[in-house]
Amino acid sequence: MRVSNLRKTYDGAHQPYVALDGVDVEITDGEFFCLLGPSGCGKSTLLNILAGFEPATSGSVTSDGVAVTGAGRDRVMFFQDAGSALFPWLTVEENVRFGLRVRGVPRRGWTSIIDTYLRMVDLDPHRNKFPAQLSGGMRQRLQIARALAVEPDILLMDEPFGALDALTRRRMHSVLLAIWQRTGKTVVFVTHDIAEAILLADRIGMMSVGPRSTIAKIFEVGLSRPRDLTDQKVAHLFHEIEAMLEPDVVRSEEHTAAAE
Amino acid sequence: MLNVHDGRPGVTGGLPVPGAPLRAPRPWIAWGRYRGVLLSAASLLIAFAIWQVLSTFIFNPFLIPPPLEVIRTAIPMVMSGEIFADVAISMTRVLVGFVSGSLIGIVLGVLLGRIRILHDLLDPILELLRYLSPTAMIPIAVIWFGIGEMSKYFLIFWGTFFIVLVNTTAGVWRAPIARQRAAECLGANRLEIFVMVVIPSAVPYIVTGMRVAMASSFMSIIPAEILAADSGIGYLLQKSSLLLQTNRIFVALLTICILGFVVDRMFRFLVERVLARYMSFVSVT
Repeated sequence: MRVSNLRKTYDGAHQPYVALDGVDVEITDGEFFCLLGPSGCGKSTLLNILAGFEPATSGSVTSDGVAVTGAGRDRVMFFQDAGSALFPWLTVEENVRFGLRVRGVPRRGWTSIIDTYLRMVDLDPHRNKFPAQLSGGMRQRLQIARALAVEPDILLMDEPFGALDALTRRRMHSVLLAIWQRTGKTVVFVTHDIAEAILLADRIGMMSVGPRSTIAKIFEVGLSRPRDLTDQKVAHLFHEIEAMLEPDVVRSEEHTAAAE
Repeated sequence: MLNVHDGRPGVTGGLPVPGAPLRAPRPWIAWGRYRGVLLSAASLLIAFAIWQVLSTFIFNPFLIPPPLEVIRTAIPMVMSGEIFADVAISMTRVLVGFVSGSLIGIVLGVLLGRIRILHDLLDPILELLRYLSPTAMIPIAVIWFGIGEMSKYFLIFWGTFFIVLVNTTAGVWRAPIARQRAAECLGANRLEIFVMVVIPSAVPYIVTGMRVAMASSFMSIIPAEILAADSGIGYLLQKSSLLLQTNRIFVALLTICILGFVVDRMFRFLVERVLARYMSFVSVT
């Protein structure tokens, strides 16, 4: 995916609010790319534009050379609140089947596709349960299975594990990394957690705080996986990013306080 | 949770083990799962007993007839089928008005929840009209439709329609944006999102609206029949009042209580049977 000179404004009371300005980034196929930044820096807005949910005010977003004008078959979004993103009236199996049906996948292929992806996320034994009967981590695994079943090239993930407890979250990281390594998908992962970004990403795009946020700096992580937070190099990168982020976090808080 | 022990001997064969923790004392009746029913029955029995005593010794039994007297009056009305005829007539009116009001309320509510301009155009009118309760509409309904069945259908329809409409609109409105976007990503087109995601998401709201509307239908059928009918439970009340038959008034009042309760339970049972999967609200946060 390629984003060039992207700008996004919202209508404000007196003047338009410029949320994003001058965003330039190229995400290569098969890459794990993290967008990192404090709250209110427009990283979710950027992700929504990549997904095609919201139009950019100016600039261009292309996926595989084709301009993004709406939700596309090559991209699937993955939401933090699985409770509202899943279909609570459908069972685990039916949630996965939904995507196959609306994509027009031939009916005779459904069973084997559903089996494959439910096994991949270890939800096979729970296929007849409803989302309400699953734990938070299981719901996120179901979202992964549902997204992968329609075979997108790109997974867009909006703070997907932010609502999970620390242990479940760590497990989800290894589930996601294993799947990413196996399937070779491109992942664009939004987070405000430095550690999460370092543990997962190939590259980390650090976003500056709004208004007029942009990707201020891109870090190449370049460390072998699995990564460990107590590792010297990982810890070093952590402190480097944290130091860079700190003035922005302070600004972000002041900005939020002023807005309230 | 009520602590219930099933009384079976444990691994020790029931022999007390020295130093073993003390067991919770066994309740003297094993009423665990019947607790709710038993307590409800007890509550009703006690209320009837107090009513009986008060009516016999303190109140004027003509104004507040004691329950045994009410039952004595009810028996011939039940045996002759008289009461069932009235119940059937009132129920039919409620059903016709409720079903038609719900259907049209759902259809229009779905459109209003989805089409912004339609909502903005109709909302001011609905916002005013909903203060006209079915009771307020009785006089004009009699002029429009006479005292035949149509006026009662209309009044129940009127009461049901607005409640179901408002709830349906709210339900469609609040279908989570993340869920619609998730469906969009998976490849659903606008129509599919609407039919397969938005409407199912609104079901809990629609059902809640229908339940409230059902209760309100029971409230409005009575005044409608008192003022503009020659049959039904409301008419029975009115006729008995004119003839100063307080016993019969109480039979009619009790009938309304029982009927409302039974219908609400049936509604809930049906919903649990048919719509159970749509009724869960799930949210992690």
